[in-house]
Amino acid sequence: MKNGTNDLRDDPRLTAYALGELEGDERAELERELRDDPRGSEAVGEVRALGAALAEELGRAEPRPSLTAEQRAAIAAAGGESGGGRAFRFRRVAAVVGSLAAAALAVTFFLPGLMSKRLGSAEDAVPALESEPVAMSPLPTEGIAHRYRGPGDSAPGRRALRPEREGGAVLDELRGLGYLGEKDTETYERIVENPFVRVLDDPLSTFSIDVDTASYANVRRFLNEGRLPPADAVRIEELVNYFTYAYPPPAGPDPFSVTTEVAACPWTPAHKLVRIGLKGRAITSWEPKEKNLVFLIDVSGSMNDAAKLPLLKRSMRLLVENLNESDRVAIAVYAGASGLVLPATPCDRKETILAAIEELSAGGSTNGGEGIELAYWVARRNFIEGGINRVILATDGDFNVGVTDRDDLIELIERKAKSGIFLSVLGFGTGNLKDATMEQLADHGNGNYGYIDSLQEARKVLVREGGATLETIAKDVKIQVEFNPAEVAAFRLIGYENRVLAHRDFNDDTKDAGEIGAGHTVTALYEVVPVGVPLDVAAGDVDDLKYQEPGAPSGAAWSGELMTVKLRYKRPDGDVSVPFDVPVRDERRPPSEDFRFAAAVAAFGMTLRDSAHRGGIGFDAVYDLAVQGAGPDPFGYRSEFLRLVQRAGELSGR
Amino acid sequence: MAAERDPHRWVLDALERYEGPLILYAARFTGDVDRARDVVQEAFLKLCRKDPGELEGRLAEWLYTVCRNLAFDVRKKERPMAATNESGLVERTSPEAGPGERAERAEAVSEVLEVLGALPANQQEVLRLKFQHGLSYKEISRVTELSVSNVGYLMHVGLKTLREKLAGAAAPELGGGAQ
Repeated sequence: MKNGTNDLRDDPRLTAYALGELEGDERAELERELRDDPRGSEAVGEVRALGAALAEELGRAEPRPSLTAEQRAAIAAAGGESGGGRAFRFRRVAAVVGSLAAAALAVTFFLPGLMSKRLGSAEDAVPALESEPVAMSPLPTEGIAHRYRGPGDSAPGRRALRPEREGGAVLDELRGLGYLGEKDTETYERIVENPFVRVLDDPLSTFSIDVDTASYANVRRFLNEGRLPPADAVRIEELVNYFTYAYPPPAGPDPFSVTTEVAACPWTPAHKLVRIGLKGRAITSWEPKEKNLVFLIDVSGSMNDAAKLPLLKRSMRLLVENLNESDRVAIAVYAGASGLVLPATPCDRKETILAAIEELSAGGSTNGGEGIELAYWVARRNFIEGGINRVILATDGDFNVGVTDRDDLIELIERKAKSGIFLSVLGFGTGNLKDATMEQLADHGNGNYGYIDSLQEARKVLVREGGATLETIAKDVKIQVEFNPAEVAAFRLIGYENRVLAHRDFNDDTKDAGEIGAGHTVTALYEVVPVGVPLDVAAGDVDDLKYQEPGAPSGAAWSGELMTVKLRYKRPDGDVSVPFDVPVRDERRPPSEDFRFAAAVAAFGMTLRDSAHRGGIGFDAVYDLAVQGAGPDPFGYRSEFLRLVQRAGELSGR
Repeated sequence: MAAERDPHRWVLDALERYEGPLILYAARFTGDVDRARDVVQEAFLKLCRKDPGELEGRLAEWLYTVCRNLAFDVRKKERPMAATNESGLVERTSPEAGPGERAERAEAVSEVLEVLGALPANQQEVLRLKFQHGLSYKEISRVTELSVSNVGYLMHVGLKTLREKLAGAAAPELGGGAQ
């Protein structure tokens, strides 16, 4: 064995040794062999390094879920009953359950990078809570009752540790191990609103831009169905960004302009509202870029619904009709098996493409992971240098990822995004919508997420704003605002809860952030408490420091500036970010129409969420504010908003 | 033994320590967290009925074994005609690597999980039990009902494939798996 005919590196004993699993004589024997085998010794180091990397990656990528409070209570109660001293124990159980109750509804399973993208001094204590998606369906109590078994009906006697099972059968089952998401529930990531932050505690606010609008369409769907949306389905920044605002186009070399405006805050007039607006350059060249689009379509059984596949097909037809002859379209599907329905086909053969669209039909279960691999592979084979290369994933979110799990899938998408192929996610239908997952996929894929509930919405997302959705002009756009303590006592970023970044990530080019498309506008709002206005907000919870005083303001603090908006972005094909700064003053001008409208949309979101920060505002006041800001409304989006506010007011009785 | 003085505490301690890892583990079989939670709850309810002394020193393997078996039962019940999709997950690598792809391959660390996901399920399971759950060969052997040397073999082959794939990913030429 040790006379050189056998490579130690092929010997399982080497792996066992490296992992500390060899003992006694075996260990001594292997150590002796290793002395004469430098390659073997090297391999030992490699195995250990790989093991450490695996442990670290798995720990990072797969956060540990917890049981629900009810489940824990059932276990604690059962444990208490089988022992003695029941009453005492139950009290203790209640305390445990109480401390966990907040996290009870949470599902941590598919949450990769979001944790690291979140930061908030006030929420540090509850990081798990704020980042967890919430299942909409309440836990069936009947199931608990069933599972809760008293000590009386315990397992019969001394049951063997494991039921008899044949090893082969076990392995066969393992091979079939897959992801089965067949529940009829909608899940939303939990949103904990950004709190007020005192400038003396932390003068910085850092976040990634977000151009998604899916939350608005989803809220509209709820209201049109006669229901108020659940609070966690309301992402205020997505409501605000559903609308386009009249920011001036960029004049300089930067691909987008930055506009700021300050006025009294409509819901708390002693506060100020600061609007930061970005506008992407409308058209990068007169020659439209060639497009290489790969549709990846969920044709699982659940898509067989008028609001899903048929609507998707009509949406695709709309898009294809609007493409140029040199653009290419491919269609891949995924369900039980995935496959290429249409290889990349130039649009001078539109009939071929339209026929392929026509033939799409739903059936089978979903295996999205494989489909995604396929779609990216097709996109890469047809990659157009300098063109628009994009995978467009259309699904109701019933997302099966095969043997790999959701976190693996998101990692995969993140890596693909770095190869210049971007991802758009189109959500369809109701009842099964995995909102958080889809947003995450788009987020990690340098992409955007739209929710399509009507052909009008398809036209808006795919055709009218298709240029923006499809042509990225800047990526990893991050905003860091520094507030001036001489002017601002406290601030609160409205919305963007799941886009908050650590301050240090601002200058870290390896940290992903949002993209901005051609002609897109992005709006962010801060509610600001000016110096001198009493801070009756939650931010006052922290005591003054005993050992330090607030640092002395710099000379610039007396400039009268409220804050400086610092931006960083990368060109679509760049790796190095470009910074630029914009100082903001309160010009004491009356608010513009757009300002009022954006404020109304934010206030609408806060009212729907029943935010603690919404002051005295309700749907009526939101309506009045929106009317003042409606302005010219060529496509009727703003008047639709007014209808939705009315509808929400009726539904809430407020 | 401290455990015997307060059996209730013993269960809660076990819950605190193993709840998260066990749900993750069970979810690999059930396919979703909700059902994995049910499985883990069931396992802990069983644990409540156990004598702590009996499980002294083998609590982890007992919990993993019970969860594994319960998870299989759930799967059997809910998916009687379980289609095997292992073969479907072949690695697709475009023959001509573009510049993006090369850049992508450069970051080998995040590649690890992708390559892990492409391993046969039995290799994945032993690797996960070892590196994600910290079980020893012996514990893995009892949980999976494989012999210790079989566990050692799967671990070895799995790690070897990982190393080769990751090394291959750094080089321009991606050889097919040697196995």
